[in-house]
Amino acid sequence: MSIHYPSDLLRNPEDRRSFIEKCAKVSFGLSVLPFFSRIAEAAEAPGAVKAPNADLPGFGKAKRVIFLQLNGGMSHIDTFDPKTGASKGPGTAVSAKGDMQLTSYLPETAKISDKVTVIRSMTAKVGVHASASYIMRTGFEQRGTVQHPTIGAWAQHFLGASHKTLPSSVTVNRSSNHGNGWFPAAYSPLPILNPTDGLLDTKSAVGEELVAKRAGLLAQLDIGFEGKPMDENVKSYNEFYETTFQLMKSSDLKAFDISAEPAEVRARYGKSKFGQGCLLARRLVENGVRFVEVAIGGWDMHAALDDRLTDVGGDFDRVFATLIKDLESKGLLDSTLVVVATEFGRKPSFEGGGRGHHPLVFSSVLAGGGVKRGYVHGASDAKGYAPDGDGVSPGSLHATIAHAAGLPVQTDIITPAGRPMQIGNKAKPVTGVFA
Amino acid sequence: MRIFALIACLTLGVSAQAAVKQAGKKAADPVIKVVAPPAAPVAPLGERTAIWHTWTDKEGQKVDAQFCGLSGDYITIQTRDGKTYHFKTDILIPEDVEFASNCVVRNRQNSFSPAIIASAAADIDRLVGVVLAANKQALNAPATDEQFLRRIYIDAAGRVPTAKEAATFLSSNAPDKRAKLIDELVFSPSYSMQMFNWMADLLRVKDTFGKGVPAFTFEDWLKTRIAANTPWDKLVFEMVTADGRLCDNGATGFMLFDAEMPLDGVSNLMTTFLGTNMACAQCHDHPLAEWKQRDFYQMAAFFGATSGKDSAILGAVNKAAKGDSGLPKAAVKKIAEMNSFRLEDMEKQKLTFPKDYKYKDAKAGEPVSPALIAWEKGDKSLPIYNVNTKSPAQLRDQFGHWLTSPQNPRFATNIANRIWKKAFGLGVIEPVNDIDDLTVASSTELMAHLTFVMKAAKFDLREVQRVIYNSKTYQASASATPDLGKAKYLFNGPIVRRLSAEEAWDSLIVTAVGTYADNVLLRRGDDLKAMALPAGKVTLAEVKSAIERTQKAFGGGGKAAGGKKAAGGSNLGLANGYEGAKPVSRFSMMLARASELPQPSPETHFLRMWGQGDRLLADSSTNDGSVPQVLQMMNGSVGKLVADSRSAAVIDAMKEKTPDAQVTSLYLSYLSRKPTGKELAVAGKSLKDGIGLTDLAWVLANTREFLFVQ
Repeated sequence: MSIHYPSDLLRNPEDRRSFIEKCAKVSFGLSVLPFFSRIAEAAEAPGAVKAPNADLPGFGKAKRVIFLQLNGGMSHIDTFDPKTGASKGPGTAVSAKGDMQLTSYLPETAKISDKVTVIRSMTAKVGVHASASYIMRTGFEQRGTVQHPTIGAWAQHFLGASHKTLPSSVTVNRSSNHGNGWFPAAYSPLPILNPTDGLLDTKSAVGEELVAKRAGLLAQLDIGFEGKPMDENVKSYNEFYETTFQLMKSSDLKAFDISAEPAEVRARYGKSKFGQGCLLARRLVENGVRFVEVAIGGWDMHAALDDRLTDVGGDFDRVFATLIKDLESKGLLDSTLVVVATEFGRKPSFEGGGRGHHPLVFSSVLAGGGVKRGYVHGASDAKGYAPDGDGVSPGSLHATIAHAAGLPVQTDIITPAGRPMQIGNKAKPVTGVFA
Repeated sequence: MRIFALIACLTLGVSAQAAVKQAGKKAADPVIKVVAPPAAPVAPLGERTAIWHTWTDKEGQKVDAQFCGLSGDYITIQTRDGKTYHFKTDILIPEDVEFASNCVVRNRQNSFSPAIIASAAADIDRLVGVVLAANKQALNAPATDEQFLRRIYIDAAGRVPTAKEAATFLSSNAPDKRAKLIDELVFSPSYSMQMFNWMADLLRVKDTFGKGVPAFTFEDWLKTRIAANTPWDKLVFEMVTADGRLCDNGATGFMLFDAEMPLDGVSNLMTTFLGTNMACAQCHDHPLAEWKQRDFYQMAAFFGATSGKDSAILGAVNKAAKGDSGLPKAAVKKIAEMNSFRLEDMEKQKLTFPKDYKYKDAKAGEPVSPALIAWEKGDKSLPIYNVNTKSPAQLRDQFGHWLTSPQNPRFATNIANRIWKKAFGLGVIEPVNDIDDLTVASSTELMAHLTFVMKAAKFDLREVQRVIYNSKTYQASASATPDLGKAKYLFNGPIVRRLSAEEAWDSLIVTAVGTYADNVLLRRGDDLKAMALPAGKVTLAEVKSAIERTQKAFGGGGKAAGGKKAAGGSNLGLANGYEGAKPVSRFSMMLARASELPQPSPETHFLRMWGQGDRLLADSSTNDGSVPQVLQMMNGSVGKLVADSRSAAVIDAMKEKTPDAQVTSLYLSYLSRKPTGKELAVAGKSLKDGIGLTDLAWVLANTREFLFVQ
């Protein structure tokens, strides 16, 4: 069981009104104070902090982010960074749009690669799935005593909520796993474990009158526990109950329902969990969710690499290309940053039909949100073993995403534990990727 | 929220410099160490002997089996072939029913005496006390009976008590009623279910391995061992050194999980059983700790002769199957895959240093010689370090002996620390998966004492938990979750924590169907034996016969049928896998305890939504909250289950005659306490105002108090 540390410091006193009060207001049909309407006021608030990176290229172009997590460790050599010689895998290098080479496992991506930036010089230190995934997700190394937030939570801290009733961050095909870090529990991403099901149980099984009575009684009977010296985790649940009551009233819940998409669109994304997950992500960002993580496993290819790249890699290829084309056709690509992230690469050498973990160099892909089109940033050496020149750390990648999203990088905030922290753990954004 | 975010940002920006300095000072404020007199020695338990008996049923049929446990009307026994049976004792002849009761007494005789428990628990309190005092802190006030009741049920039985169980304890005036309840619970069937959940998260117990190869034998094996209270050292030794096929020997499951990735497997094993953080050393010298990449490879070499996949049989089955083109390809593949999951030690140890090895202490591509890691200078002079590495086929056994010996410098401490965390919410050393440096313990003396108790208990986890549960420290009221970033937690009491997914589910199950669910056991491993091919050359006839047996077992309503395709959290297809009592199902949910459902449950099942791990990594469960959880609790099938007139808690309440007694009964069912006067008044008023008992049950299940244990 892990622990997390929401912040009192960062919490609006207005929002601290007791659960009871809110609950009662919802249940008795009184209006809930429109605290989300303050977002709009705040946007024009004078004296907002100017981010030190505000004048660098690409700042704030991405109004929303889709963060794809390829879990298991995508082999860079067999996907976005093809090699010749001893390192070469079963796939062959083919010329792709945008003057770059990809492997033959990515035929669909090769048709849209003129819209993406490939980073071939990602570099990290940890070759263990859990710790490496944590670093890729948060930009920080895992420490026993601190939970670090995702970019979604950072963004909610600096920019406020992205929508008045929908959550600002959502995870698809994965749990939220303390994505709020040290920020309040309300910044925690809403997890959708199965994109086809969407958000379940949004309607009460009983009539409105009874719901109101139950909620009213709940509000009165929960006092005993609330009055006690309050545990942070207990407070979190108060916030989740508040948020849930809000969300149930939302008219925007259809954002979670991919069955509302035309059959033709659903077919294009395919039936896989990744395909349906990416379609849901597109639907969510379109409707006002700012940050969506979509996870997909199967990339830990120690054996049968050829089979699995055809299978898992083929699915990724089709879905990723569909997502980019779909965003482009809806006019959303320039304001939506799509990130392809994986915890590490795989070794240049083969061991038993597959490749081992290799954090020293690997690839990431960025698309939309103001990044260059048809561009390759950095390179690995001839073998695909190490970065050729400066590498891009996971922290840098985070700073780059944050920069695109208009967040101040290299700016301290103080956590509830009194520690100064920066997005991407003090790393600089890679501004060279921006157009 | 934005205004405040901006204000926070502004004010924080200004004071950031000062705060940095302050934070620096705070971090340098360590726990004041004190030297406490050593703990009293704990007399070790005697050697455990299994009780074998020829059991006779009323029809005169006999079976030779080991006694595993007796709970109420149900007995669990295990035959020599490793199968367990769980059934009502009324089918046995009366002599054997009595014999079973005597077995319980005999088994308990080999546990710590009340005096030893008291003394070892008092030492915990003393050691915690001196550290607290030196740091000007004190133990929290003693927990009330209500708080203790709920906590011990959750920790030892994995569920809340029923209204009746709660009322019985609360109304008792016996001075030793807490110690008695502890013993009652740790010897109950619920204890085994609860321990299974805890171990399943740690040992990554999963229904399927690789591309969908069923692994039910591993679950069954673990349940059997837990039911027999097999000590931790023996359990681990058996898993690490297991041989044979997954379909015959469930103990192989732990090692076979990583069959494709032996290096990851070694890294995981070291973390799970020794709290050793060698993960980084897998790829490079550890940046912070002492471990070198060479250390990791030398340890991994103990598994260098172990093969986790029988590739030959894959080919042999396919070849044999070619003799009949009518055989279903998927079935052939399934048989081949299942039989290829096996552990075997070869004559050659094949591990070499990686091709990209870059340090001077070994050469890339060279064979690795097995060698054991040591934490302190003196470690290597311990007798257990004297291992024979000459015979490759013996390497794993040699490693197993070193790993699980009481002399191992970390094995006992690792499990003692994890068991402590299970009771208190935090380890004496945090994080529990990295205990290489023992000096970071909140109290090194407490850690040493717990290690000592673990060894004296001969790794009997039940006995160690009895000691912990009887301490005043455990029986203190709970603390709010501490911020470990600020300071170490010195154990003023256990920590307030949200029920784990399994605890929350099992509590809802007991309120729905009562203690009935405690005897509903899922056992599906036997069906996998149908897939086993006989040893020797694979023939077409054998493949055909295995396919037929499998279809009969799985397709024809065998135990393993269903479960996999169940959508939307429904497990109804499992129905045939149950022994003992049969589970009830409502709202498309199988109302069995979490341990008796698929491992892990499907993604949208309550268990997964509330944080049951995916079991791909050790310790993958979480306790964080989310909106979908709340929606499910309020509106989903679980909300309906609670607000249902068939609910055992509601039926119990309806039996009461007055509204006050009805409300009290529901409070006992959900919150393990009686309502206050004010609560009685509020609830009573609403009962007159259109709220039914089912609605009140819904309300209580949706309180934060229900979700948390204090």
